[in-house]
Amino acid sequence: MVRTARSGGDPSEHAQAVIGRTTRVRGRVSGDGSILIEGNVEGDIAVRGDLTIAEGGRATSSIEADAVTLRGELDGDVRARGLVRIEAGARVRGDITGESVALEEGAEFVGRLDAAFELPAELGGTTGGRRR
Amino acid sequence: MASTVIGAGITIEGEVTSDEDVVVQGTLRGKLVAKDAVTVEHGGTVEADITSGPVAIAGAVTGNINSSDRVDLQNGAKVVGNVKATRITIADGAQFKGNVDMDV
Repeated sequence: MVRTARSGGDPSEHAQAVIGRTTRVRGRVSGDGSILIEGNVEGDIAVRGDLTIAEGGRATSSIEADAVTLRGELDGDVRARGLVRIEAGARVRGDITGESVALEEGAEFVGRLDAAFELPAELGGTTGGRRR
Repeated sequence: MASTVIGAGITIEGEVTSDEDVVVQGTLRGKLVAKDAVTVEHGGTVEADITSGPVAIAGAVTGNINSSDRVDLQNGAKVVGNVKATRITIADGAQFKGNVDMDV
């Protein structure tokens, strides 16, 4: 088992907690460390570490984390202390607060963005490129 | 490679269900249901009833364990609760308080 208990290591490379594909969590997730969600989480998440929702992953949660990467489905608000990436294939419904937010083409997003950044021309508002 | 890992420093309060194996290095309070193996590593804490396949414990568990397979209480394990399993081992250095039901 890989253990990366050392804080301030390389948070994006080694998820310290993994919610696997067939795993469902109903409740509150908190603590120190990065989290990768491949399965299903219903409940609030507050971690000092990065959070990733993988393709196929799904969360009904308000999320507080460092950097947040979304490739799956999220229903809930995000408060990130770092970069928020909403990548192609993601479906996000909720308000995003982050240091900066990147919204990729092919992502579905309904909500508000609150970040100190310049809106790309194609965004033209608060709603993202709604494909699919 | 375990499918679900609750890493050291992470706390989950609630219910965790999985078709695959679950490794606890952090803290889980609530309920744990897994179709496959459950491992509570040294430093891991589970305050929950566990229903699963094989169980290996080197950390702390407070709760009843209902395994369809074997339960291994390893050195360093601290278990308070009843254990229901087909087979059970309690290693030297494991602490255990509870009943064992081997379904004879």
